[in-house]
Amino acid sequence: MPTIDVACGELERLLGWSWQGDLEKLDWLLAFVKSEVKVYNEQENVASIELKDTGRPDLWSVEGLARTLRGFLDLEKGPRRYKVDDSAVEVHVDAELKTIRPYICCSVVKDVKLTDVVIRGLMHLQDKLDQTYGRSRQKTSIGIYDFNLISPPLSYTVAKPDGISFVPLGFEETMNLAEILERHPKGVEYGHIVKGHKVYPILLDAERKVLSFPPIINSNDLGRVTEETGNLLVEVTGTVHQTVLNTLNLVTLALIDRGGKPYAAAIRYPDEEFYAVKQVVTPDFRSKQVDLDVAYANKVLGLELSAERMAQCLLTAGLGVEKVGGDSISVVVPCYRVDVMHAVDLVEDIAVAYGYNNIEPLWRDLPSTGGVRGQQRLIDVSREFMVGLGFQEVLNYTLTSPESLFDKMNREKTRIVEVANPKVVTMSCLRSWLLPSLMEFLGSNQSVEFPQKIFELGKVTLLDDTKETRTRDEEWLAAATTHPNASFTEIKSALDAFFMNLGVEWHITETVHPSFIEGRVGTAIVNGVDMGVLGEVNPQVLEAWKLENPVATFEINVQKIIANKLGK
Amino acid sequence: MVSLRAHELKFLSALDKLDGKASVEQLISEAELSDAAVMRTALTLQEKKLVKIHAEPQVMVKLGAEGEAHAENGLPERRLVKALAASGGKAELDKAVAEAGLDMKFKQIALGWILRKRWAVYDSKASTLQVVDHLLHEVSVLEGNDEKLLRYLHGKNQAPLNVLSPELQEAVETLKKRKLLTTEVKTHRVIEITDSGKQTAKQGKAVEEVTQLTPELIITGKWRTTKLQKYNIEAPVAKTWPGKKHPYLSFLEEVRAKLVTLGFKEMTGTSVETSFFNFDALYTPQDHPAREENGIYFVKDPEFGDISAYEAAVENVKATHENGWTTGSTGWQYNYSIQEAKRLILRGHGTCLSARTLLSPKLEIPSRYFSIARCYRPEVVDKTHLSEFNQVEGIVVDEKLTLRDLLGVLEKFALEIAGADKVRFKPDYFPFTEPSVELSAYKEGYGWIEFGGSGIFRSEVTLPLGVKVPVIAWGLGVDRLFMMRAGVEDIRDIFSQSLDWLRRKEVT
Repeated sequence: MPTIDVACGELERLLGWSWQGDLEKLDWLLAFVKSEVKVYNEQENVASIELKDTGRPDLWSVEGLARTLRGFLDLEKGPRRYKVDDSAVEVHVDAELKTIRPYICCSVVKDVKLTDVVIRGLMHLQDKLDQTYGRSRQKTSIGIYDFNLISPPLSYTVAKPDGISFVPLGFEETMNLAEILERHPKGVEYGHIVKGHKVYPILLDAERKVLSFPPIINSNDLGRVTEETGNLLVEVTGTVHQTVLNTLNLVTLALIDRGGKPYAAAIRYPDEEFYAVKQVVTPDFRSKQVDLDVAYANKVLGLELSAERMAQCLLTAGLGVEKVGGDSISVVVPCYRVDVMHAVDLVEDIAVAYGYNNIEPLWRDLPSTGGVRGQQRLIDVSREFMVGLGFQEVLNYTLTSPESLFDKMNREKTRIVEVANPKVVTMSCLRSWLLPSLMEFLGSNQSVEFPQKIFELGKVTLLDDTKETRTRDEEWLAAATTHPNASFTEIKSALDAFFMNLGVEWHITETVHPSFIEGRVGTAIVNGVDMGVLGEVNPQVLEAWKLENPVATFEINVQKIIANKLGK
Repeated sequence: MVSLRAHELKFLSALDKLDGKASVEQLISEAELSDAAVMRTALTLQEKKLVKIHAEPQVMVKLGAEGEAHAENGLPERRLVKALAASGGKAELDKAVAEAGLDMKFKQIALGWILRKRWAVYDSKASTLQVVDHLLHEVSVLEGNDEKLLRYLHGKNQAPLNVLSPELQEAVETLKKRKLLTTEVKTHRVIEITDSGKQTAKQGKAVEEVTQLTPELIITGKWRTTKLQKYNIEAPVAKTWPGKKHPYLSFLEEVRAKLVTLGFKEMTGTSVETSFFNFDALYTPQDHPAREENGIYFVKDPEFGDISAYEAAVENVKATHENGWTTGSTGWQYNYSIQEAKRLILRGHGTCLSARTLLSPKLEIPSRYFSIARCYRPEVVDKTHLSEFNQVEGIVVDEKLTLRDLLGVLEKFALEIAGADKVRFKPDYFPFTEPSVELSAYKEGYGWIEFGGSGIFRSEVTLPLGVKVPVIAWGLGVDRLFMMRAGVEDIRDIFSQSLDWLRRKEVT
């Protein structure tokens, strides 16, 4: 979820309302748009606001926040109407882009008063849209330019990696496109988006001056905006037309809220089947009209609101109401409300405006019986047995490392569930057995009073090609005792008590296991089935975990043992 | 009347018989007690004011090894004079020494002392020695003080100096110079009976006092005449560390029990899940940031699972993502990839279990379900983030459900599970629910805590899975509740690696 830095003075000015330094009051207001202040920098009077709703990019600027929040303050009703003057520029799109980055949308905004705060806010919005809504520039990316330096019409075309050179933003030397991908920080970060192609997207003006190399970097000459810049050109390129258009709308609207005058651009696509529409005028501020069924809304809410009451709520939430019939409301959804994809989205807005805390909670008696899975009772009983035997229960991570599961246990590595993108090596796979978790735990407690007796009843994950997820989880029980005289006899006696109390007959057969001392390890057998291992841990393993006392341990498939017992 | 144990009474009687005053050594032989027992008993009796222990320094005389040998065989000069007498009173020195059976190293000593004691005269020219006349027939009778002392000390380990006669005390000095004995100062203890000790010794009846009440004492009935020794009950004892359940797991058990009471059935599933159930079925678009490397753990090998058993549902979900299908939604408007749906991941939330339950032919309507699921996200672990955590969540399924029911379920959880005094609701966001509600619970002494997130599943979730009635989905912030109750501030302590912490953690 995005977090945006908001200059509080700006927000108060745009709202026409002040919380007078009371952050709780600000939080009360922000709750209407699922946001809250995470950090407040008193010195700079800047609030970091976290916005939970990833579907509402219209809130990711101070202008957008103010636009919607004014409704909840009763200072403004319904959506804002925005108009665009006629086309100022044309953009011609090259057919080769259809497989690379097919769409572009453009607007011109004149007479904007850019202050330092406004520029910073604009850059912040651009960044949030690029990162989140534009999926790290994969889906959309934004460029903003000084319109006075540009000669229309524009040409959105392609160039070979070494076919064109310009000075990228933030640099002083001329580079070709390949060099930018190689050496410019933005080239390194986003180069992967275009690298697979033979030619790269490029945006040029009528004099073939470079505006930008989308989605990587703007030109240092045309793409730099300062407090002196009054007329701006905004362009968005990307892979999904609706998203590209939405993004352009959002940036343009923020500039209009700052007093700018918008002008449209005509985008001319090539005569190819790929492009369903050959000419598009952008931005496009037309709203959507949705008919909301009042009965449906009341059914979702559990209320009996009249159509009029609902209409009031919709207006408060910044939506428009065209017609209010007895059983239906014609709702106007402004272009910037890109989150509305279903009638239920409007119902939620009604509920938010009505106030969640004004709705009476209802607990309905349903004829449903509670219950736990069949094995849960005996799983819990098993834990109680272990406690009764004097073992302390421990809880460990199931994420671990192959080193812990195999190397340190003196075992050959086998196939296990590894993750492709671990954050740290020590959490790079799921455990396939419990004992390493217990050894690690004991290793962290060498200075604690002995004897130490611990157990864990928990999940292990094993590969299993017969399953949908190619894996299966099993619940195992492992116990360990460690002190100067810890022995096989002690742990066998404990395991025997466990089995006896569970009413399960078992016996032991000799086995060889590299984690244990030869001749002091056995397999626990129930009804002829191997259910686990018990023995004294190999000193080589003890050394690997830096343990100074002998350890006797058992590890059994408690889930299978219980299933076996219940099956009888 | 002071009650005494048998050996104490025996001690007191022995002391009384010894005229009420005796040394430890005397008592050892008289009361038939061991060395250590005498002192211990004396101290106990002194505590009871039945005896007094006097301690004074005492010089002890002790024979050395050579002295002991001379005490056994006689002093060298005595043996020499005896040999002379046996050979008629006169003999050559060397011959007489040999005759006396003396080692040649004692020749000079024997000669020196025999002359000094004037028992014989020596003719140095002829090297002959002759016994003085008057001694000739009395050599064995005239015993010197030094010899008397040797005889007295013979066989004794040591003797106090002050019990010796003045003559013998003088001999001590002589023999000390001859390095045949040593003296040292030791503390001498004399035990004296008191008046009440005397009385007790005469009238006392022994009561047996023991430390351990044994089966024998109980069976034989001897406990009736036995005094059980008094303990110092304030003495510190060794710590006992009993086996205990893990505090967090006990807490989850409690939560599970409460959910069952409220009519919820448990759902279970595997840690590895397909993206289909973790994301797609929950209407999370395939390019959503939560599905990127920083949002979810991908399984390295194998990369893909099998969703062929859910072909119809997969087609519905695909259509819903692409264009809304028949759900009344616009959908996400992109090309859905079935291959991407098969991608195996470690489940990022327990909601995938709810999706599976909704798709299951065993789904009951109406019903309530819950799960306690271990979930995984590639977070950097710190004070407030874990890479692996437990989620408690579930669903309520019924035809009549509304937003009021959703609030009702949340309020119930706050009151029943968190023990809250009051609740508060706020708008919330999840890609798969609308409307969505955040629950805050207030408890006196703790303040407000965010205790849950929930919502009504979107039609884009339920319809493709074949469910035509409203479904409430809820999740509870149980970790935060546990931390608050257990006084834990660092979320990593839930998986504490400290045995000491677990041992000392009190029940909450």
